[in-house]
Amino acid sequence: MALLQISEPGEATVPHAHRHSAGIDLGTTNSLVATVRSGEAICLPDEDGRSLLPSVVNFGNAQTLVGYEAQALQTSDPLNSIASIKRLMGRARQDVIQLGDVVPYEFVTSEGSNVPRIRTRSGDLSAVEISAEILKTLTHRATQSLGGDLDGVVITVPAYFDDAQRQATRDAATLAGLNLFRLLNEPTAAAVAYGLDRDADGLIAVYDLGGGTFDISILRLNKGVFEVLATGGDSSLGGDDMDHALGEWIVRQGGFADIDTKLARHILLAARQAKEELTTTESTGILIEYQQQQWSGTIDRHQFNELIQPLVQKTLTACRRALRDAGISKNDIGQVVMVGGSTRVPLVQSMTGEFFEREPMCELDPDKVVALGAAIQADILAGNKPDSDMLLLDVLPLSLGIETMGGLSEKIISRNTAIPVARGQDFTTFKDGQTAMSIHVVQGERELVSDCRSLARFDLCGFPPMTAGAARIRVTYQVDADGLMSVSAEETTSGVSADIVVKPSYGLTDTEIESMLRDSMEHAREDIELRMLKEQQVEAKRVVEAINTALAQDGEVLLSNSEIARIHKHRDQLETAIETGSAAELKQLIKALEDASEIYVARRMNASVQVALTGKQIDEVDV
Amino acid sequence: MQSPDLSQNYFELFGINPVFDIDCSRLHAEQQRLQATYHPDRYVNASEHDKRVSVQVASWVNQAYETLQDPVKRSRYLLEINGADIPDDSTTTSDSVFLMEQIDLREQVESCRHGEDGLQQSHKIETRLAHRADELAREFVAHFKAGEFDKAIVSSRKMQFIQRIQQQLSELQFELEEL
Repeated sequence: MALLQISEPGEATVPHAHRHSAGIDLGTTNSLVATVRSGEAICLPDEDGRSLLPSVVNFGNAQTLVGYEAQALQTSDPLNSIASIKRLMGRARQDVIQLGDVVPYEFVTSEGSNVPRIRTRSGDLSAVEISAEILKTLTHRATQSLGGDLDGVVITVPAYFDDAQRQATRDAATLAGLNLFRLLNEPTAAAVAYGLDRDADGLIAVYDLGGGTFDISILRLNKGVFEVLATGGDSSLGGDDMDHALGEWIVRQGGFADIDTKLARHILLAARQAKEELTTTESTGILIEYQQQQWSGTIDRHQFNELIQPLVQKTLTACRRALRDAGISKNDIGQVVMVGGSTRVPLVQSMTGEFFEREPMCELDPDKVVALGAAIQADILAGNKPDSDMLLLDVLPLSLGIETMGGLSEKIISRNTAIPVARGQDFTTFKDGQTAMSIHVVQGERELVSDCRSLARFDLCGFPPMTAGAARIRVTYQVDADGLMSVSAEETTSGVSADIVVKPSYGLTDTEIESMLRDSMEHAREDIELRMLKEQQVEAKRVVEAINTALAQDGEVLLSNSEIARIHKHRDQLETAIETGSAAELKQLIKALEDASEIYVARRMNASVQVALTGKQIDEVDV
Repeated sequence: MQSPDLSQNYFELFGINPVFDIDCSRLHAEQQRLQATYHPDRYVNASEHDKRVSVQVASWVNQAYETLQDPVKRSRYLLEINGADIPDDSTTTSDSVFLMEQIDLREQVESCRHGEDGLQQSHKIETRLAHRADELAREFVAHFKAGEFDKAIVSSRKMQFIQRIQQQLSELQFELEEL
């Protein structure tokens, strides 16, 4: 197609190797997808021009809805409209019980699985499956916009996410059929979005208050290399908590009793609306109308500030700790970057500014900044920017340890260690002929295993039997660049590697992921599409065959030349489309051919009826 | 990918002299240069094998950096590569003078928790500890250079103790600031 290539001499060659990539911010409240187009990161909007996709999934009778449509059904269909699913990623049943009064869903745990599932109309679904629905919607948006499949994506996670939560996010990507380049910490993404990598070297604090999570990260920038020095925060603190604080205030003011799921939802939505109003106005009215109960009132910013002050204070405590972990003082910080919709709240901006003693950066839309940064990183990882020397170096957010005698956790890799990282540890056998051992890996800073998060139990087996104490088993804990851990083990005197069986404490097992993949909606849909195409191809061939046979039989007898030409035209169109056309196109062409042949079919019927009738008695004709 | 020679020691990896007093900014610059080459992000589109190797090499580089940038770990590592036999942590010190110093320092740190001007007091101790750490580092260097590894090991362990106390003090300061 050389003739179609229009390019000026000396112009850069068409980027043949350009690979489609996207950055995805899989948020608690909203999710976004962004990409780099003509060197600039942009968020991709939906058909109505909206970039935000509310992280709500509704499992309806006929279809699964994601985003605004699902959000609209939250009040009328609360049990099947799942919001804030990010809070449940990588979480276990006991965590879910703690959230019991916050979320209205019905939880079930099935035999042989540690993963809590939400009972919906579409079955019992895990957080991974529900998140995958959000990812699929965003992916669809990106492929439509980019005009092709994605070669890979970068998905952001709170820096504070532990191994189980990261693994769950990775699983959701797998389930959505995505090639995940990397999990990127949200604050790092934000710094990248602000183009701070081109700025003077220095220290940056990224304050990220989203819907459901708070992160503070201290980054060091040195010649295009971002280094996370320390991260801290709270994986269940965010704007939703402000809504709840205000919601509780409304309940107290309005004297509401018998609060059912729907009323609670009404109140929370009203609270969120009022919170958003108060970012620009000094006071706002609140109206709750629900069945017999009705209440209206006003709240001013001062009252609201009092309600949320303890929440903001909690974030600053985490900031102090992160500074300490990084071994620096407030004065060393050169820039403070604000991320997350909740940083629009005036009190958040003013308290943060006071704390760091400098004006925080909030020029970019705080809802979009993370997705934009992820898109830039995805573009680089896809290889579209070979000259970029930007590199993001991360640290382990929470210490990894193993359970030792007495239920204590022995730290193997401590928090804020640069990743990827590997650590070895030597064990020996304590019984003659022992060929297996078990290692329980936990994550967290506390000394008691019961206070840490159990990640997995690794059963190591297949060592050569030796006398007690003779075997030397070297266990290697490897944490990759995404912060995900794997374990390998070897008996060093014989060089025999152990077989390892992983029993994740919270996450999905590989088998579960596999079966989900098989059952996944996306694949089912693909299958249906493929089957529909096959069916239409068969049908098209059958129709063409039938027409050809008929024409050969009596075409010239029953049709005029122009009628034959018309049928030929449509037949040829259909025939050429059989191999290349989509199911819908084929269906349309079949219809066109059938329409064109209608008169022919009618005449054939008449003729055949006459033929049939002439040879038969009237009472033998089937009516 | 071209993997670096994994049989090098950490000093060789970073191309710096195997001594205690190193240029930390140079170490940091070298660390970033190595990560820029071997970090898994540079191998996102590479073969599975290269991806795996990159994770291992990047881990090794991080491990090396962590060892050399920490004075206590650096001192131990220096002794290790020079063939010194380092007894494990559980061996108790027989240096009664140092033992007394340990008890004294611990008591001083704890007293900050209860005192009126705990935070102010803690800053004084902080300065004292930093001073002591420098002193011990010089002591280590002297023994190490003289080839007196046994004495150097003792200095290294004293450094480790001071470091632990510094961490405890830092934690305590954080708690006091929160009050």
